[in-house]
Amino acid sequence: MSAAANPPLSRDGSAAHRFSVHRLGARGILELAGIYAALVLVLLETLYPLLWVLFGSLKTKQEMLSNIWGPPSSLVFQNYVDAWRIAGMGSRIVSSVFVTGSALIILVAVATPCAYAVARLRFPGRGLVLAVAVAAMLVPPQVMAIPLFMVARDLGLINNRLGIAFVYAATSLPLSVFILRSFFVTLPADLEDAARVDGASRLAILIHIMLPLIRPGVALILIFGFIEIWNDFFLAFLLLRDPSVQTIPLGLVSFFQQYDSLWTLYFAALTITTLPVIIVFIAMQRQFIAGLTAGAVKG
Amino acid sequence: MSTRPQGAAPSASRFGRFVSGDGAVAFVMILPAAILFCLFYLWPFVNGFWLSLHNWDGFSDPSWAGFSNYQRLAHDRIFLAALRNNLIFVLAVVVLKNVLGLGLALLLNRALVGRTFFRAAAFIPVTMSFVAVGLLWSWIYNPVFGLLNGALDLFGLGGLKRSWLGDADIALYSIIVVDVWKWLGFHAVIYLAGLQTIPAELYESATMDGAGPVQRFWHITLPMMMPIVFINTILGLSGAFVRNFDIVYVLTKGGPNHATEVVLTYMMSKAFQDGAMSYAAAIGYVLFLIVGLASVALLALMRRQRLEV
Repeated sequence: MSAAANPPLSRDGSAAHRFSVHRLGARGILELAGIYAALVLVLLETLYPLLWVLFGSLKTKQEMLSNIWGPPSSLVFQNYVDAWRIAGMGSRIVSSVFVTGSALIILVAVATPCAYAVARLRFPGRGLVLAVAVAAMLVPPQVMAIPLFMVARDLGLINNRLGIAFVYAATSLPLSVFILRSFFVTLPADLEDAARVDGASRLAILIHIMLPLIRPGVALILIFGFIEIWNDFFLAFLLLRDPSVQTIPLGLVSFFQQYDSLWTLYFAALTITTLPVIIVFIAMQRQFIAGLTAGAVKG
Repeated sequence: MSTRPQGAAPSASRFGRFVSGDGAVAFVMILPAAILFCLFYLWPFVNGFWLSLHNWDGFSDPSWAGFSNYQRLAHDRIFLAALRNNLIFVLAVVVLKNVLGLGLALLLNRALVGRTFFRAAAFIPVTMSFVAVGLLWSWIYNPVFGLLNGALDLFGLGGLKRSWLGDADIALYSIIVVDVWKWLGFHAVIYLAGLQTIPAELYESATMDGAGPVQRFWHITLPMMMPIVFINTILGLSGAFVRNFDIVYVLTKGGPNHATEVVLTYMMSKAFQDGAMSYAAAIGYVLFLIVGLASVALLALMRRQRLEV
């Protein structure tokens, strides 16, 4: 337990009582050992399956059966080359980037002025807009899948990547307006008053004064939106029926169903699609987790 | 003088004041959101109800059907089985996510070396897509070289080996495990944020009064955590009702023999395999009513408990 002598890594320090191994009695050490054992178990249960996929993606097909558990004996990078080609990863990644990027741009462009108006302007019907946003959060888009498909068909948006981007933006809209509004409400009124006295228009105030101040709120809806849209299978399955426009999750499923004996390639494809998101998450996990909890817990 | 909206008077509704005040600006700012919302939220929502009152395959002329689609649903044995599976799924998943999530949060809230690392690790499955998670677990459950059966062999429990997704008696529970695995870190992080708002003095004075760790948990931690329990339950509840299509579709497609069929998988197969668009729309409406009622009931309960969230 020598490692326990180091100060704890947490920087917030709010709940973390600093401790040293000298202050711990025999019971304390036993308790600590129990906690670490439980955490290692969680770690194993969470990370080993992912490591297993990474190992599998570098094995030969024979080794996959003879060496189920361990790391690969030799690194077969050819699996990645083959998986990339057979699963058509290139075009899927282009589709996913285009759809997710367009949807997030539309979402921010549409949700920000709406949230600003609801939070800071006085006009009749303001309460109604907010009430509609809250009510819509209780109606998950999944339950409207069939009529949504009909509407998209009538508008000619089936197999249209820009079309599905608008649909994604719409499904994320209520929550985003709600979150952004709560950020706008907290800004002091004097800021805006001063700019108005100087003759600035509302739009100019929104873009030049307010937007920079609610950047954390915009980051939050971008993070939520990104996870939601990048990973979505259901709406894409509903609206993108043509393989040439399909996103990564759809591509993975059809690859899996067509070539279900190419295990090692399969693991390679899974690694290609999962690893970048995990790396992005690890790089910004502090903002990520802080943003997630900011909305959920008051104060 | 303040432009804070809290003081906004709802009486300013005359057109002249509307245009000269903030009304016109607000209208322009809300318009794009309103268009998007009406096209892809309101229209489908209304249209879905209209659709469910007709018989339509999506191509020929629709004919009026009244509530017959709903009446048929009440006698549709596969639908009722899907509903039952869905309720089992929701109940199991919500309870497990809350109990395990709080447990994990209590572990992660300790002052530990490597705490940041453990937290990040626990959160990684949340960032993965349902598809990736589902496909990963279909390999873990693979009867031939899957991790699970391999682990059972390793510990001399070969007798427990089975086809985890092929056995109708356990396939649903196998899927439940996957859903809990994916979301556990999410709920733990929310609990963790809640735990950090509990003042340390409460624990200190309780300890001085001789309260052990178990008593401290029941008398301080749990009561203080009730608002967070509600948040996690609401998030888990609506998620478990309507976000299980991906995972079920990838793992079992509702099989074997509808043993893992949930409402959404049944709705999609009715619409796109049988072409029964209006019947499928009725299924969506029933699901909406169930989710809506459950959420409203929870919110009402929360208000009665005077829990502010």
